Amino acid sequence: MPKNLLGLFLVLPALAVVVLLFVVPLGASVVGAFVTGDGYGLGNFTKAFELYTSDVIFTVVIVSLSTVLIGLFSVAIGGYLTLGENPRAVAILRWLYRWPLFIPFIVVGQVLRTFLAKNGLMNNVLVAGGIITPLQAISFLDWRGIVIAFVWKQTPFVTLLVAGAMASVDRGTIEAARNLGASRLRILIEILVPQVAATLTVGLVLSFVTMMSVLSVPLMINAQSPTMLTADIAFRINAYGDYGVANALGLISLGVTACVAWFYLRHSMKEKT
Amino acid sequence: MKILLQATLAFGLAATPAAAAELTVITAGDQNMVDYINEYLGPLFEKQNPGDSVRTVGTGPGDAGSQKIVERFEAQKQAGSKVWDTDIAVAHEKFIGPMVEAGFLESYRDRLATGKLVTRANADMALGSNVSGYVMPMFNSQTAIAYNPALVPNPPKSYAELADWAKAHPKQFGYNGIKGGASGVSFVMGWIYAFGEGDAKKLMNGPFEEAETGKWNKAFTGLKEFTRNATLTPGNAGTLDLLSRGEIAMGPVWVDMFYSWQANGQLPPEFKLVLPAPGMPGQPMHYVIPANAPNKELAEKFVALATSPKVQAEGIVKRFNWYPGIDADHVKAELDEATWNKLFVDITPEDLAQYGKPFPIAPYNKAILEAYERQVTN
Repeated sequence: MPKNLLGLFLVLPALAVVVLLFVVPLGASVVGAFVTGDGYGLGNFTKAFELYTSDVIFTVVIVSLSTVLIGLFSVAIGGYLTLGENPRAVAILRWLYRWPLFIPFIVVGQVLRTFLAKNGLMNNVLVAGGIITPLQAISFLDWRGIVIAFVWKQTPFVTLLVAGAMASVDRGTIEAARNLGASRLRILIEILVPQVAATLTVGLVLSFVTMMSVLSVPLMINAQSPTMLTADIAFRINAYGDYGVANALGLISLGVTACVAWFYLRHSMKEKT
Repeated sequence: MKILLQATLAFGLAATPAAAAELTVITAGDQNMVDYINEYLGPLFEKQNPGDSVRTVGTGPGDAGSQKIVERFEAQKQAGSKVWDTDIAVAHEKFIGPMVEAGFLESYRDRLATGKLVTRANADMALGSNVSGYVMPMFNSQTAIAYNPALVPNPPKSYAELADWAKAHPKQFGYNGIKGGASGVSFVMGWIYAFGEGDAKKLMNGPFEEAETGKWNKAFTGLKEFTRNATLTPGNAGTLDLLSRGEIAMGPVWVDMFYSWQANGQLPPEFKLVLPAPGMPGQPMHYVIPANAPNKELAEKFVALATSPKVQAEGIVKRFNWYPGIDADHVKAELDEATWNKLFVDITPEDLAQYGKPFPIAPYNKAILEAYERQVTN
């Protein structure tokens, strides 16, 4: 058997898996978005925007806000791990920050639901501590709950990447800045972050795409209006068996993720050339 | 080695008892539906039919659960399977009509001894479709407004009073929208019955006319404002949960769930129910047998047991606080006065007759839900 044919043969199972489990369903759902009662058309999209415009905006805003917060927190944690001067505090933080990585989204949703409710653990503690009165207690189980869940769950992931990149930055540049009298905050913003910007972007893009696809958190915390697109897609299919509008909503969220994926691709192209 | 393998296989086959059948029951609805079959009906049936066993699968709350049952049958029909994987299904009435029309179901009521005990009209017409013969009602259920008397001394007697009360007490009324179970859906339907400019009777009995769907705009504008002042809860159980925690003072619930929670101590005993004018919808859950069920005879035996006056009295009324599926007089005879009256503490039989409404027929039902999404939540 010729060598290149053998190579092709070896690749075939992997290729078949990708085609059958990814390309074909994706194609079917893209086509399905345009199938209406009478042939092909944009009917599903008209309906999707008629019913769910506010949810599309809500989803983009929530996920973008979460991404920004994740970026800030991961830079702060990564920065302290790299520049922190108290070895004990650094060790504790290093040990602690990874925990949410191992907790599934559905559990995060469930934990936060009991924690953030109006009479949940958080408000009970605040009331017991005399910080607020029972009448001031409010439920965080709306958009804030979703943002808190996303940031809590995704920050460790981005921090892991960012802290790794920061650790491999040439210590010489940091020492030089310190010798010239730069504060640690200034070193973080002007020396460290620019050097790890590429890694940070990749981490944030991956988080963005992950958050776009999470169904369990919005379902657990805020399945009411406005809610995330994933909850609407599930509702369309489960309650109406309406795959057309569900596919259209899927394509809309695909469009959103495609925008950020473009950043990712541009970045990886740049790295190759 | 080969002999050993064959021997094991032969032994394995021989060890499977041939006579015992496993009855598969799939049910839509909240966890209480699965509990009912697993904890009460299944064991009872297994005791009467030694060797046979009952397997229960829950498909989830609300319309979504019944939709999954329809899709399951559709898939097996399209695949041309001779024997399907389900013996009995329990589904919401909205989905029975389409299943009958698609030929998924067996007409079996006339073969059952208990078939003659069914008297309510909703066992013949399900939201505008003729389903006579194809269904046996498991129970009838009703939605109502539950309230905390400590916070609401004078409960509203009508939707109009309710709307005023909610305006005066922001965030104290809670309901679960239309995505988290049917108690919220029912509240929305009642709102349209009350404030829609069309004829509510036409919505319930048909026929479907496109023009009718244009008469709800004002009602939905009001509902949008109302919802802004309300708390949205995460489901049927979520409304009860928030009520018990004192986070809301009032909300629409299923009557049976309300009583069951009270009986379990999950809700304070002083909480009460009220059925506001012009009424809120209720619905039956129906037992159906698929046309290609693997154990049809056994399935019929199961449904006959489930709809016998004894089981309806002991299981449906006494344990789970549902209104009976078969004629109430036959069930009443099996129960003591106190248990029977427990069903009618807050909502009298007169209230029920006057304000217990059916859901709108299927096309209106769908149109109202979509209009809700278009005009209230978007």
